[in-house]
Amino acid sequence: MSLLNPFNKRPGLNTATILLVENEEQFQQSLANVLVEETAVTVNVRLAKTLPLPMKNDESRPRIDLVVFIINLTLDKSVKSAKASLKYLDPGYFLGKVCFMVTNARQALGCTGRLDAVRQLAVSLHCPVLFAEDQTPEGVTSSARRLLTILKVASGLVPNTTALYLSNLTRCAMPPDIDQPSFD
Amino acid sequence: MDDSAKRLLQRLVRRIPTQMLRDTLDKWERLTAKQRAFVDFTQSKWTITQELLAVCEERELSVKHIAELEMIYVIGNPNQGMWHTFQLVDAEDDAHSLELVQFKEQFKSHLSELKRNVAVKIKKHTDEAVWIRIAWGDTFSRPNHLKATYVVHYLQTPFVFVSGLLSKHKPLLLQALTLSTRHQGIKDANLSGQKLTAIRDLLMRQYQHVFPTKYPSPLAERNRSVSNLHIENEQAEASANRHRMAGEAFGNGMLPALQSAVYKLETKFRDLTNETMTERDKPLRCVVKFSSPNILESLRHCASTGIASTPVTPLLSSIPLKGRNYFVITDNAPSASSQMCQTQD
Repeated sequence: MSLLNPFNKRPGLNTATILLVENEEQFQQSLANVLVEETAVTVNVRLAKTLPLPMKNDESRPRIDLVVFIINLTLDKSVKSAKASLKYLDPGYFLGKVCFMVTNARQALGCTGRLDAVRQLAVSLHCPVLFAEDQTPEGVTSSARRLLTILKVASGLVPNTTALYLSNLTRCAMPPDIDQPSFD
Repeated sequence: MDDSAKRLLQRLVRRIPTQMLRDTLDKWERLTAKQRAFVDFTQSKWTITQELLAVCEERELSVKHIAELEMIYVIGNPNQGMWHTFQLVDAEDDAHSLELVQFKEQFKSHLSELKRNVAVKIKKHTDEAVWIRIAWGDTFSRPNHLKATYVVHYLQTPFVFVSGLLSKHKPLLLQALTLSTRHQGIKDANLSGQKLTAIRDLLMRQYQHVFPTKYPSPLAERNRSVSNLHIENEQAEASANRHRMAGEAFGNGMLPALQSAVYKLETKFRDLTNETMTERDKPLRCVVKFSSPNILESLRHCASTGIASTPVTPLLSSIPLKGRNYFVITDNAPSASSQMCQTQD
């Protein structure tokens, strides 16, 4: 099986590589344009619609430090496609090298079911969920900055921190049930 | 001016927006410049109507002239009302050399033979289209100009577009058309819509086509621009393939603004999880209607982003290919022109 493996290639010098997986192929392009503008580190961005990635790019592909699943909460297919792609990741990625980025959470008023489903998925995989706004350039810039913070840690460029340490701080927690009373 | 002329003029003034009314009156050329200046277009529609009525009385215009005005308006704004398409079949030998004068004479004479008291006006537009306005009457009544039928025909093509036709007049019109264009039959082309320009462009294929080629892309660039060096699309080839297939099915660039597609299903119900419905022998009849400001754009977008699977299913790609937007789908029918095989569940 063509699992994507985090540790089977050598890292580049002062380089970080991020993989953006999005079914709609919209937000990833604008994010990518902002991410490559980073000057302190050389950022490589790979864009994909789903996993698995095509085999023929395997040799030329650098080691992927962070995989980001971009999910549009207004579309059911987006959630399903992200879930289906998760199967093609080596378990080593789930130690802090996977992150979910969710857009249109405000519009998805009728779709709280989807948001809960994504949250539960993230909780079970110990991954963070970031909420992003993709329509304005400021939204794109701020999401890119947050991704860069996590990316730098995940690619080992921040001393004394690893992806696993960071994931303990950023991982998603399921909000307590509203029905349950807070003090008992 | 008699009653029907007055009523027609009132109806027209109410229907036409004021700005367009001024331009249409200019094109009409039946009023002198002084009379046109007399009508004050900043007033309410009622006042404009009264002034126009007065001016037309001065010129002693009849209902025929007002009908001309209506025709000019409709020719300038054809994207209103519902247009239906018909196709002429079995051309006779001299159909291809048919010219305008001959067509006009023949059409008028055939139609008057079939029905007394019809008022027919034929006009040739600059883009080769022949516009025909028909007001129907019968042996006992004058032609009713308030409910006129409009027909657009491009000579030497087999297509006819009709709007405002009542079913009792349909066989008469179709017979007159068939005889005067020297064909042996006429059938329904299953294409209808509000925008005449859109259905005409679709049928006459006046949009940018993408022809399938064996080697679709030129040699890949060796030196990519600096900003793109760090961004790489893993599945660029798949995405380019999808774009290409969507373009081949629907075309490039601006597509004719077709607004609906209707599929009438007479197929058996097929769903493995629902036994009771699947057991029934009779086909489940239902009608699926797609509507959008521009259906072909929407379908092309669906295909190129992967929402619809590529290669594009013939159910969708027949809309531009066959130039129709009404389909009847039955189970595994032999290849008759209005039926297609059931493919998906």
